[in-house]
Amino acid sequence: MSDHDHKPAPMVDEISDFEILEMAVRELAIEKGLFSADDHRRWTEYVHTLGPLPAARLVAKAWLDPEYKKLAVADGVEASKAVGVDWVTSPPTQFGTPSDYCNLRVLEDTPKVKHVVVCTLCSCYPRPILGQSPEWYRTPNYRRRLVRWPRQVLAEFGLQLPTDMEIRVADSNQKTRYIVMPVRPEGTEGWTEDQLAEIVTRDCLIGVAVPKPGVTANTKRPVHPAVHPVHHDHNH
Amino acid sequence: MSKIQHDRTHHAKMATGIGDPQCFRGKAGTPKFKEGDRVRIKDLPDIFYTRTMVYTRGAVGTVAKLVYESPAAEDEAWDNTDKPEWFYSVVFKQKELWPEYSDLYANDTLETEFPERYLESA
Repeated sequence: MSDHDHKPAPMVDEISDFEILEMAVRELAIEKGLFSADDHRRWTEYVHTLGPLPAARLVAKAWLDPEYKKLAVADGVEASKAVGVDWVTSPPTQFGTPSDYCNLRVLEDTPKVKHVVVCTLCSCYPRPILGQSPEWYRTPNYRRRLVRWPRQVLAEFGLQLPTDMEIRVADSNQKTRYIVMPVRPEGTEGWTEDQLAEIVTRDCLIGVAVPKPGVTANTKRPVHPAVHPVHHDHNH
Repeated sequence: MSKIQHDRTHHAKMATGIGDPQCFRGKAGTPKFKEGDRVRIKDLPDIFYTRTMVYTRGAVGTVAKLVYESPAAEDEAWDNTDKPEWFYSVVFKQKELWPEYSDLYANDTLETEFPERYLESA
């Protein structure tokens, strides 16, 4: 007799108990005003960032040099060489292929178009120029929801975009890898390449944040005190 | 076609010092579509492996760019690299992919890539 009640186990555990717990505590804390969704995004980015990103320098160079910007948009692999990354000879795997395909596209934001990158297949990521992907980038949650509800997902990262701005999701499920070149923010007039590279964080290059002087930073990460700190009265 | 003597490093050797998909450049012949063409994504069988997402199948989009030449993932997964084809980056209106997508955001789009076999003129 066949067992009609049997249900196959899911191939991917969509979410663990610990993740549910983390989300519940995080959302309560945001509602309570202990920190904002943007604070949380910044901290998560900090703990996931392993080192200086060549891609940040690529964007800074392109902001300063219109000719280099043209090259970056037309041929990302060639443009990467100027920031010390040769996709063909030196990917982190030291084994050219097939884990790191050698095709990079730089997606140029405009005041009317905001790009954001996802891989719905699993976790394709431009590792030679952006390092290891953050944990959230690889979750079924982000992959499944970003393509369908990009505005809502970006809002969860603390990024609210105007209604009339086009959001363009890039799904990297074949051989191209993408980085986003955000619009150079106001308040950076006269800045050097080093100064500009400091504000182009990993999240800005994936597209879930926009660079902002005094907010996004690759160096000297500030510790933000809680807006409403908890007082441990029971210790007295 | 299966390889009689299967060399697991064959793919890596082919791309060493050249890059992948660069190692297939010039091997796909004349592209069937060009930038600006309207295309529909075919719903081909994918019994073993595919990188063509279900949410794009049947949808109509616009070719934004001819990106590179490569074997389709369906072939390459089995180390069949004999027939590279053109790959296209296609832009869809979000509303075309998700019927419930809010009309407020009619400008929103999604861009992703397909091997030529998945495209037909629309």
